[in-house]
Amino acid sequence: MTSPASAPLPDSTPAIRLRGVRFRYHDVASWALDGIDLTVRRGEYVCVVGANGSGKSTLALIMAGLTAPDDGTVELLGHRVFSGPSVAGIGASSAADGSALGAHPDAYRAARHHIGMVFQNPEDQIVTTVLADDVAFGPENLGMARTDIARHVDTALAAVDMADHAPDDPTRMSGGQQQRSAIAGMLAMDPELLILDEPTAMLDTAARADILRILDSLHTRGTTIVHITHSADEARRGGRIVTVADGRVTDDRPAGSMPDDNVSADSRPNMRGATAEASTDRIASPTDGGACVRSAPGTVPAIEVCHVSFAYSPDVPVLADLDLTVARGETVALIGRNGTGKSTLARMICALGKPQSGSVTVNGIDVAHAGKRERRELRRHVGYVMQHPERQLFADTVREDVAYGPRNQGLSADEVESRVDAALDLLGIAHLADRSPFDLSGGQQRLAAIAGVMACRPDILVMDEPTASLDAVASARIRELIRTLHARGVTIVLITHAREELSLADRVIDLSHRRPAPHTRAAATATAGPDSTPAVPSAGNGHGIGQRSSDVVSRMDPRVKMALTLVLMFSAFTIRSGWQLVAGAVLVGAAITVARINPLRLLGAVHPFLALFAVTGAVNVFFVHTGTPVWRFGSVTITDNGLWTMVIYVLRFALVILLGAVFLTRTTPTQMTDAFESLLSPLSRLGVHTHELSLVMSLALRFIPTLTDEAKAIADAQAARGGSIETGSPLQRAKAMSAIVVPVFAGTLRHADNLSRALDARCYEGGSGRTHYRAMAVAGRDVAAMLAAAAYLAALVVLAL
Amino acid sequence: MSVSSPTSNHSTGVSDSGRWSTKRIAVYALFVALTIVLSFVEFPILPGVQWLKYDPSGIVALVAGFAYGPAAAAIVSVLGFVPHVFTDPWGAAMAILVSLALSLPAAFVYKAKRTRTGAVIGIVVGAVVAIAAAIVGNLIVSPFYFNMPVSAVVPMIVPILLPFNIIKMAIHGVITFLIYKPISNLLDKRA
Repeated sequence: MTSPASAPLPDSTPAIRLRGVRFRYHDVASWALDGIDLTVRRGEYVCVVGANGSGKSTLALIMAGLTAPDDGTVELLGHRVFSGPSVAGIGASSAADGSALGAHPDAYRAARHHIGMVFQNPEDQIVTTVLADDVAFGPENLGMARTDIARHVDTALAAVDMADHAPDDPTRMSGGQQQRSAIAGMLAMDPELLILDEPTAMLDTAARADILRILDSLHTRGTTIVHITHSADEARRGGRIVTVADGRVTDDRPAGSMPDDNVSADSRPNMRGATAEASTDRIASPTDGGACVRSAPGTVPAIEVCHVSFAYSPDVPVLADLDLTVARGETVALIGRNGTGKSTLARMICALGKPQSGSVTVNGIDVAHAGKRERRELRRHVGYVMQHPERQLFADTVREDVAYGPRNQGLSADEVESRVDAALDLLGIAHLADRSPFDLSGGQQRLAAIAGVMACRPDILVMDEPTASLDAVASARIRELIRTLHARGVTIVLITHAREELSLADRVIDLSHRRPAPHTRAAATATAGPDSTPAVPSAGNGHGIGQRSSDVVSRMDPRVKMALTLVLMFSAFTIRSGWQLVAGAVLVGAAITVARINPLRLLGAVHPFLALFAVTGAVNVFFVHTGTPVWRFGSVTITDNGLWTMVIYVLRFALVILLGAVFLTRTTPTQMTDAFESLLSPLSRLGVHTHELSLVMSLALRFIPTLTDEAKAIADAQAARGGSIETGSPLQRAKAMSAIVVPVFAGTLRHADNLSRALDARCYEGGSGRTHYRAMAVAGRDVAAMLAAAAYLAALVVLAL
Repeated sequence: MSVSSPTSNHSTGVSDSGRWSTKRIAVYALFVALTIVLSFVEFPILPGVQWLKYDPSGIVALVAGFAYGPAAAAIVSVLGFVPHVFTDPWGAAMAILVSLALSLPAAFVYKAKRTRTGAVIGIVVGAVVAIAAAIVGNLIVSPFYFNMPVSAVVPMIVPILLPFNIIKMAIHGVITFLIYKPISNLLDKRA
């Protein structure tokens, strides 16, 4: 994004200059980085490669100015930001005077304003639920004028082909779109230097190609790029490859001179497009595997999927009339773009989800109609390695964690012990048995989590992208495991994006050949190739999120809308007469009409309160004894006054709920937090951190879907290991609950770490000096709404007299 | 969340200028998000009393109070129920009151006595205060739902409100106690 004029200065100071940089984590004895010397010139495209745990991510944070090292010197964009204790006598040519050792906050701040950083996990970099607002967050923090922000946001979105998505909700986008949005969030701040830490690790092939193409074009325009990757294939795209191992730079050479035999096992070209040319002949669409015919008795296949359809919402089919048979001992690889229903199918095979139509039969048991006992029996035979299985780790030691499944099967202590040992040996991690799983490297955690599934001795194993974002060594170990299990006769369903795993399979099935309908979210993602940016239908269509608002209520000033809603909701509790109820009904009816909400949709909002209605109604009927008796059963008397009270109390409560529902459906989370902030602002005079509180609220709302999905995945994975919160003694249930709650908290803290780095990368430094992209202004419609509300309140008072 | 010298915790010093560090904002935000998520996982625990529902969100406020002190407990308790204000305003007010009554005393006790015993005492004290708050709160709120005097609500306390709240606090307490050690280990590692 840097204009050529301002990019490489003629006498350019380097973009990055590291000398003798050392870094270690506070509880670890060894150095994560041990004497790094590295210079990146302006305008360079440098790729940093290395295995998991080599220190390259730490190096990236130091180069981005987000973390200070323990020792050495760091110069970023000409600013000496850090001078370590051992520097005093060395590098005297720099500007910093020897007296100021350690981190220099002002220099860091100055450098950071021109450095962008993109992280591996696309989701954790999103700060709000409207893409344009999200991209504007950085410019707001830099204190840009509103017109400049709008210009920067537009340019940045255009640069990543996301201009059409400006009003959409980034939390509901595909990983590839999210990562492009994250890059746009950085570009909007005009960085001279862009650092990316494995930006493609969680993406499918098409999305990966998009990101690499964007990096090329940024580099052409003069941005200095440092791309951290573990794929040598990606590394070749840069001008220079720096190899990091054990905290040191072990190799540094121009990209062209990288010898081929230096290329590690995992770095062969990844599959381009949906199918790998080399194995095209072996790839079948699901029906080719044999039509759905009842097998002869005696040869029950391990898995039989017949005419299965599934959709998360009616207009977005994920699986449509799918047939698939997996024979005993067979290894089948499922491939296909993100969103083609691979993970949905995996959940069904593990009896964690049911098809909406058709049947899934595993080991002769129909999962849709299996009773509790049959499901438990099934889970003894079916192992489920979910995506990122390390996220389900919870126990104090690896051994305890691996023992969770066998213990749930009710095995004897000796048997549990031997199963655990065997599983640890199988994964080659016996030496880690007594370590805390949270102390291990990412690769070791993955192996420990898989050992936890292996200890259940499944004869059918479902693995969902078991090598995603692992380095070559750990990936190779998992492929070795798959071969071993195959030789032992285990039936394996392997969901994968990695080409080298296809050779492990007896059959490869491409689910994207069975794309059900052309206009699904998944389809839109899949066609989002280099030249096209189809408009993804706004998820949750018209659910008030990311919509181009057309109704009056959506366009109201959020402050007015929120304040009025609260006043009206609480005033409804004062309704005591029929005419007041009529007034309330007129007001709510008018609100629903101008908000253009289909009243039937609001019934959904009322539904959860039906139980409360029933109680309210019943209590009021039975407790009011004044008036004329209408019915009498024994000692129970129902009077006309009682019935009348019931009607008033139930209906006025319904009005309250409907008012709230209108507000919630016609207000975006961003608007809500804006309104929240300005309604709180009087409290700031009392020393309450109102800006920070509303940012907390806004970020919390944005993370709700993320945490919900993750909690569900963890609950599934523990259920597949036999953990049950529905059965057993209270203590067993509490323990099963903690096996879910602990990993959920661990995930919460992991997201918090990632998020705080993302906030730093966007130069968030508190509320002072921030500008605002969107203006809130009270317009005619707001005044009209206030007048209507005032008239209604006056009517309530008059009718009460 | 004390700030030590920049060199020992790898801080660049930039965050120290804001009133809250990005780390603190991020942790609060994620705890609030988790509270919101869990507050929707609600189910009745007393047969026949369908309108009193258990939800595990109080656990998050307790953990937040133990890990980051009373201020965090208060923020998580209040912000975690803000979304409910627009679905059931009095219910949300009650939920905030009970969550504060549980997590604030627990956080204060644990702040003074940072041991396993301190945690247990904190949970018990918090549970007692929360049960009292829940009952008083119900007495105040009931007239908005039921056309009956407070004297008519009182007879429901012993058979309905008391057992419900005791069971609820027992579940909160046991789970918090079981999960706090592994979680505090995690917190220590991130420090």
